[in-house]
Amino acid sequence: MKIAVCVKRVPDTETRIKVGADGKSIDESGVKFVLNPFDEYAVEEALKLKEQSSGEVVVVSVGSDASQETIRTALAMGADRGVLLKAETRPLDPLATAQVLAAELRQGGYDIILFGKQAIDDYSHAVGTMVAELMGLPSVSAITTLEIGDLKGTAEREVEGAVEVVEFSLPVVLTAEKGLNEPRYPALRGIMLAKKKPLEVKEVELDLGGIEVLELALPASRKEGRIVGEGAEAVPALVDALKNEAKVL
Amino acid sequence: MSKQVVVPAIFQEALPRDQLILDGELDEERIDVDVLFVGGGPAGLAGAVALAQLVRQGNEAGEGLGDVTIGVLEKAGALGEHSLSGAVLNPGPFRELFPDLADSDFPFRTPVAKETIHLLSAKGSTRLPTPPTMRNHGNFVVSICEVVRWLGDKAEELGVDIFAGFPAGALRVAGTRVVGVRTVASGLERDGNPGPNYMPPTDIAAKVTALAEGSRGLLSQVYAEWQGIGSANPQVFALGVKELWETRQPLDRVIHTMGWPLQKDAFGGSFMYPLEPNLIALGLVVGLDYRSAELDVHELLQIMKLHPSFRPYLEGGEMVEWGAKTIPEGGYHAIPARRCGDGVVILGDSAGFVDVPSLKGIHYAMQSGILAARAIYKALKNGDVSQGALAEYDRLVDESYILRDLYRTRNMRPAFKHGFYSGAVRAGLMALTKGRFPGRRIEMEADARVPRRVETPKGFTPDGELTFSKVDAVFKSGNVTRDTIPSHLVVGGDVSADVAEFYARMCPAGVYERLADELQVNAPNCVDCKATDVLGPRWQPREGGSGPVYRRM
Amino acid sequence: MGDVIAILEQRNGTLKRVCNETLTAARALADELSGEVYALVIGPPGVSVDGLGEYGADRVLVCADSALELYQGTRYAQIAAALAGKHESEAVVLAATAFGKDLGPRIAAKLGCPFAGDVTSISAGDGIVVTRPAFSGKATFRLKIVAQRCVISIRPNAVTPVAVAKGGVVEQVTPGEGDVVGATTVAVKEPERMALDVAEASVVVAGGRGLKEPEHFRLIEELAAVLDGAVGASRAVVDAGWRPHSEQVGQTGKTVSPNLYIAIGLSGAIQHLAGMRTSKVIVAINRDKDAPIFKVADYGLVGDLFEIVPRLTEEVKKVRGS
Repeated sequence: MKIAVCVKRVPDTETRIKVGADGKSIDESGVKFVLNPFDEYAVEEALKLKEQSSGEVVVVSVGSDASQETIRTALAMGADRGVLLKAETRPLDPLATAQVLAAELRQGGYDIILFGKQAIDDYSHAVGTMVAELMGLPSVSAITTLEIGDLKGTAEREVEGAVEVVEFSLPVVLTAEKGLNEPRYPALRGIMLAKKKPLEVKEVELDLGGIEVLELALPASRKEGRIVGEGAEAVPALVDALKNEAKVL
Repeated sequence: MSKQVVVPAIFQEALPRDQLILDGELDEERIDVDVLFVGGGPAGLAGAVALAQLVRQGNEAGEGLGDVTIGVLEKAGALGEHSLSGAVLNPGPFRELFPDLADSDFPFRTPVAKETIHLLSAKGSTRLPTPPTMRNHGNFVVSICEVVRWLGDKAEELGVDIFAGFPAGALRVAGTRVVGVRTVASGLERDGNPGPNYMPPTDIAAKVTALAEGSRGLLSQVYAEWQGIGSANPQVFALGVKELWETRQPLDRVIHTMGWPLQKDAFGGSFMYPLEPNLIALGLVVGLDYRSAELDVHELLQIMKLHPSFRPYLEGGEMVEWGAKTIPEGGYHAIPARRCGDGVVILGDSAGFVDVPSLKGIHYAMQSGILAARAIYKALKNGDVSQGALAEYDRLVDESYILRDLYRTRNMRPAFKHGFYSGAVRAGLMALTKGRFPGRRIEMEADARVPRRVETPKGFTPDGELTFSKVDAVFKSGNVTRDTIPSHLVVGGDVSADVAEFYARMCPAGVYERLADELQVNAPNCVDCKATDVLGPRWQPREGGSGPVYRRM
Repeated sequence: MGDVIAILEQRNGTLKRVCNETLTAARALADELSGEVYALVIGPPGVSVDGLGEYGADRVLVCADSALELYQGTRYAQIAAALAGKHESEAVVLAATAFGKDLGPRIAAKLGCPFAGDVTSISAGDGIVVTRPAFSGKATFRLKIVAQRCVISIRPNAVTPVAVAKGGVVEQVTPGEGDVVGATTVAVKEPERMALDVAEASVVVAGGRGLKEPEHFRLIEELAAVLDGAVGASRAVVDAGWRPHSEQVGQTGKTVSPNLYIAIGLSGAIQHLAGMRTSKVIVAINRDKDAPIFKVADYGLVGDLFEIVPRLTEEVKKVRGS
């Protein structure tokens, strides 16, 4: 089985966001970057599938040179080799990213292509399914369970208040939701081995895409709230405020 | 007035030597390196860089050792995340390590242009002349996190293997020889059983293990105890609590203060440094030999910020990072008699290379790493890593400015053990005589042996704007410790209500709370400052990546 | 030109409530673009499309086929993309539910046009401009579409439905021949008691570690029930295994913006705040008056949640009952 996992370098979930001088992107000083948490599920799933059936796990990322570190993290978890599609800037339009990924993945002969369901920075929830459509492959997004059989498989995805069960044939594109598995931590030995695993860097040119960033802004600070009171005696005052002032009851 | 006292040492457990020093066969799944630096701070990284440079130079000159694997083990999830310092840095070791680079290439923020020292009272401030030890012309304001990350990049470029997220939990020994370390398991559930992500400990074998664990290093402590390595005075510590502020009011100088809000029988002072004109590092450092059980360094820092010397800078700004760390303050007389043994050397803060009067430690730590690298390289070349061979490291340190500086100021910190004013007079005389007064050694007691008066705290309510609770503070440390991790703190028996209260005040991160008369331990809050290991429950390493995530401390 | 296609989601042959929001947004956009609104309903035969005109649909396109009863990503995308091409529509809008999050990017890929997901506002003056959260709600992008056509998904509850009477002329369309698709939704499993999803609910009642034990989430469930709301949970309690991850609110969980968010026994770690701070009204109930959650709360109640929450449930029952 040949498996590709597409990963992204993103600011850590705990990072405090500050808008950069251009007013259109974040100020990266002091920001810690990590492997996108949803991509960790994708990497873990790929490794589990490989452990079941042998094969190769290839980690692919689009980004600057700094993304090599992110790829190495996935290699330390156990992936076999990495490919960095090197681009200094990446437009916000997910289609632009999907196009270069699809072009790369088309040549790979992969049985399974895994993504995290979304990157926690751009938050688009789009690239995985776009790649599938561009490649004309079946796909299931935001999966929480996966079973792979002989050239076919079944996945479940959570929809509001229900679960869709999807059957598919290979090759397939799948995007991982939290709960699919428990990602492993890289072991010491894995980190040591990761340094010697191949990581190919390919320069790519991204399309500008059809989305122009006008502004990145922090949410307006909320209007000062108030403490309605203390203890259960204050409950009627709260209910009154919610009903008559905020009008949400 | 109550005559109750708490003597912290009575409630402290001994180090569990049988768990910390493990003899016998190494694990089959072990990793082998030639030299292992335990701790990815300035000492360990400077050592790793220097050693890698020596190896490379030797190989290029055709008289080398060939491939030498150098590892750095770091407990934080990434380099720098547990590093905290003021800091004003003496750039000497940077220039020595990287002769081809200019100061502008180094990860420094601003050169020190102006500096002032003030003696504070509750409302006022008196400017003092700058003592010679505290002159910082030619030094730089830095973020130690940035310094450490930069050094880490340099080390990796030189082929050093950096293993972040792996704390060393025990020394591996064969007889008296240190042959490596064992890492700490991760993924344990609160009850101590393996969870779904369990990862067992790994043995790392090394020809030479360099302990660069920083302040109150666990393995350094147990090694000295095991080998019976003493020092003239016991090591003593201070606790520093630091905040980083983005401000509206720019700061153009380095400011130090003494006096208020400390009581007269506590030793310490504050610092305020501009990383950028509108990015200010601010902190308070207090010796852990303070006499009142209700002293609370975090709270004192909060109160201090309301003083007219600080408030105008902070008002309208935002506190963006918070952290705490101990500092070894014992100086010359507290340095272990030897900092080497069979297969092992001890560097930086773990060896006590800090000069209190000048408030400096980073360049000593780096220099000790550089000197250790030379000694280790020589030992590897001669195929002899015994104590006798590694004694070269002790000799190099003894002849260096590290020991020269510390000797000159050997009695300054001890002079303050009876309080601020008598200490100030004596320290002044020492400075004038360049350390010849008083000549003899002033004896110090270990911090835990100093009795504390039980007193009732006055109470302080943070406003959430300028002043912060410990919960808010820990949140700003970026602490990401898993909530379901087993407790890493070993509480001694018979903790009374007074002791619980003392712990609660002592810990800056709200790890300890006194609930009614019981001690409540919120272990995940811990930011690894080690004050608890000095005065309270013993600290043990937790799974890798636990604790704070400092970015620009 | 200037026409907007609003793709409406059905389940079990019934249109979802969020469709009125989608239509309202489509109507407003079409008015600014001087175009018409096409409501597109893909599903089994017999889906009731009455009344779509009341929320601004000029025309209602019904693509009914028993094979389309369950959501089939690629097939739905083929149908929508073909219609968008045929009608030369300028924008395709849909709700950013699990359905829209999957379908939107597929359509955009097929049309080769930009996709803006999870937007909280749309306007069209000099081109279409949207705002959408990024960095999990810790920041907001304002984006301009610089293409002939785009696909936009709209965050549930971001738009208040407004009735605008339009023709709502119903027209049947055929699914047409699709390519062979290798993935088929074969079943939708619905839990016995339908739990309202936290991302879609207009009221969320969330609990944290202050509840002390997983059993005490019963208090949260009871309050959520009387408010017709969904249960949410902090990362700490999800990590501790008290609640399923599907209830987690926060950056690695779900980002929500309900009309009412009640945080109970939840101190408010920044990553949780990031996931809920766009809620319209936030109520915090916590023992610790210094808890960060109070800083974002519109209304705070300090005290013992075990006394406050049952009382609150009772009081809400009274108000709602009258």
